[in-house]
Amino acid sequence: MNQPISWRKPIYWAAVIVFLVSLAWVTGVSAQDEGNLYNTAVDVRLGERYFLRQCSRCHGQDARGSDETGAPDLTGTLSRASSDAGVYRIIREGISGTAMLPVPQDTPDPTVWQLVAFINSLRTDPANIDLPGSVTAGRTVYLGKGECASCHMVRGAGGRLGPDLTLIGEELTPDELYTALTDPSADVDPRWWSVSVVLQDGAEVEGLRMNEDTFGLRIMDSQSNLWSFQKNNLRSYQRDESSTMPNYAETLSASEIDDLVAYLFSLRREN
Amino acid sequence: MNRICLLLATLLLTNNGFSQQLSQAPITPAFSPVTWERLLNATDEPENWLMYSNTLDAQRHAHLNQVNTSNVAQLEMKWAYQIPEIDRAETTPLVVDGIMFITEAPSNVVAVDAVTGRQYWRYDHELPEDLRICCGRNNRGVAILGETLYMSTLDAHLVAIDARTGNLRWDVEVASYESGYSKTAAPLIVKDKVVTGIAGGEFGIRGFIDAYDAETGELAWRTYTIAGPGDPNVSTWSGDSWQTGGGASWITGSYDAELNQIYWGTGNPGPDWNGDVRLGDNLYSDSALALNGDTGELEWYFQFTPHDVHDWDAIQVPVLADIQYQGEERKVMMWANRNAFYYTIDRVTGEFLVGKPYALQTWATELDSDGRPIRVPGMEPTYEGIVVSPSIGGATNWFSPAYSPQTGMFYVNAFDGEQEFFKRDEDYEEGERFTGGGGQYIQPMDTYNSAIRAINPATADIEWEFPIQPRSTAGILTTEGGLLFSGSVDGYFYALDASNGQELWNISLGARVHAAPMSYAVNGQQFVTIAAGNVVYTFGLRD
Repeated sequence: MNQPISWRKPIYWAAVIVFLVSLAWVTGVSAQDEGNLYNTAVDVRLGERYFLRQCSRCHGQDARGSDETGAPDLTGTLSRASSDAGVYRIIREGISGTAMLPVPQDTPDPTVWQLVAFINSLRTDPANIDLPGSVTAGRTVYLGKGECASCHMVRGAGGRLGPDLTLIGEELTPDELYTALTDPSADVDPRWWSVSVVLQDGAEVEGLRMNEDTFGLRIMDSQSNLWSFQKNNLRSYQRDESSTMPNYAETLSASEIDDLVAYLFSLRREN
Repeated sequence: MNRICLLLATLLLTNNGFSQQLSQAPITPAFSPVTWERLLNATDEPENWLMYSNTLDAQRHAHLNQVNTSNVAQLEMKWAYQIPEIDRAETTPLVVDGIMFITEAPSNVVAVDAVTGRQYWRYDHELPEDLRICCGRNNRGVAILGETLYMSTLDAHLVAIDARTGNLRWDVEVASYESGYSKTAAPLIVKDKVVTGIAGGEFGIRGFIDAYDAETGELAWRTYTIAGPGDPNVSTWSGDSWQTGGGASWITGSYDAELNQIYWGTGNPGPDWNGDVRLGDNLYSDSALALNGDTGELEWYFQFTPHDVHDWDAIQVPVLADIQYQGEERKVMMWANRNAFYYTIDRVTGEFLVGKPYALQTWATELDSDGRPIRVPGMEPTYEGIVVSPSIGGATNWFSPAYSPQTGMFYVNAFDGEQEFFKRDEDYEEGERFTGGGGQYIQPMDTYNSAIRAINPATADIEWEFPIQPRSTAGILTTEGGLLFSGSVDGYFYALDASNGQELWNISLGARVHAAPMSYAVNGQQFVTIAAGNVVYTFGLRD
């Protein structure tokens, strides 16, 4: 009993409207191919306003993420998306199986693109930065006088007693890198705090704090051995929240620090 | 460091809770580098689970007996680890000297304390947004050599990760994900190389097995699983159909050090259900391959399903053992295939020894003396649809079988299903699905039978079966305690007596078990681990 659909019938027009809307949707998404068209300073500000209202509860006011909610830091390398289109898609569609929900369906396209522009603004574009130091000289300092590779890894080479620096240029600004080198204890990620454990017989084990919870403590000692302790089996344990990194203001010249900053800022994804 | 180990051991020895266990085994530093010699002799350290199938022969048999037929009913949960992303966990964790490495969907890995399940570190792999994957965001496990883990990723990369920190050591593109390639299986370490397969059989890929230098990530050799120019077997493909011939290799193989042979299964020819465009046997799809352990050269092959048109991949773990066959000891490979036939094959030469159906099948009358199926006419998919057993998912699938040297039996999760198979005409387009048809169930799942079946590899006879309702897609573990562990779609994890199939213990975990169990020990206490839903559970006896 198939019957032709009359163009006079409402269902016909409903179908046409759905088709046109879907065309508009496709057009909106495909605009990403030409880059984000909503990336002026005003767009970034509007994107920030939307972020603070809708996203900051999980990602934090400073967009640096939250251990409590599990929302990632948006100011560094984005592990889920490497392009504007990818960020747009995540905002639109959410991430299945996680707490990252899509924005309401009726959120206008420009608003989503403004949000993309704001998230992009959180990272420093190296093309807009003119640093005083030399990348090549900085690499020499990194591998030589600074002895940085004895504690840090870059692309799989180096030590384990400090953060992996492979993408550090995407995660910190030059100012933040400078501070990390000259005042290393100013802002230490809890992953890199030190812990001193006293066993029941008085023996001590020291290491970097890999993870801690209510009942347990896991550390890496200076030989890269991993240890797991139950707190109720310990006589005591103590944290040291300062950095184990030397203060390079005391051992490197100002120009060497500039070079090191330039090198570290150059460490980013290979294109 | 030795002083600290000694002090730690002393501390724990004086603690009442662990004193009994510690007196049985010394504390090892967590952890020592995993050398090739350790992998080669993995049975010598039963407290560890050093590779996907536990040992290079892939028997998936734990040589631990603290948990056994007399006390398994006292198992209790020790800890649970929640995978943060909700998906279907197919992981088999590794355990090295008290550290457990768990892979997660989509392509992540986490290191936890194997006694508490609490995290040391995690690695999240960055993925593109436009992946081409056929069947879910899965990862089945890592391999380890030295202090480095090796993992396949959904964007068809192979990554090397520092096992102490989770730092990325290297990342190589194995194939282009945009062309339909992906990777889900745990690699296999052979000497100083990482041997790894590829997925994408539903996208018209040309499959291969690769070996990479473990230190640098440099490609050492590639063996194509689909015959091409220069190989006389390219004649088993009509026209240029070999170019999109499929033959993916998406499960982990096994290795015999004495023969220096790597064994690996290959998947369906492409397109899956329309064989009209690829006439011939379509070598080496749906086959067991034996490759030289140094060069990857093909030494022999055995094709289970020539010219497959039902998607019955030979993507099963090749299980190796030396058994008595007709009065003499033979080095064999045991294989319960997705096509519903069980095979015992001489792994030195690839000679077929014995084979019989182990599950419901309607497509072949029997196997001939070479192991080639004698087909029932008219069982190919049609445009209108035709009902055939087994189903597309097969009588079994990728989930691991096990072999117990204690009982001499091979164990498989079998499904007596059926489906209506269709074919359609389809043009190949790079990066798009290229299947040429499909299938559908025609009755509710509860209509069909499913069972754990114990097979005598010398006769291919079924010795016993344990019925499962509605069915199982879980792997199997056997242990030196006389046990068989497995799980079911309805969320049970259970233990049977491996000698007779008698039920000894079960627990409802509340979500589908789609992974394989494994077992290990720390400080003398044996644990059994299984993933269900997106949670990894670990059980042990009460302290």
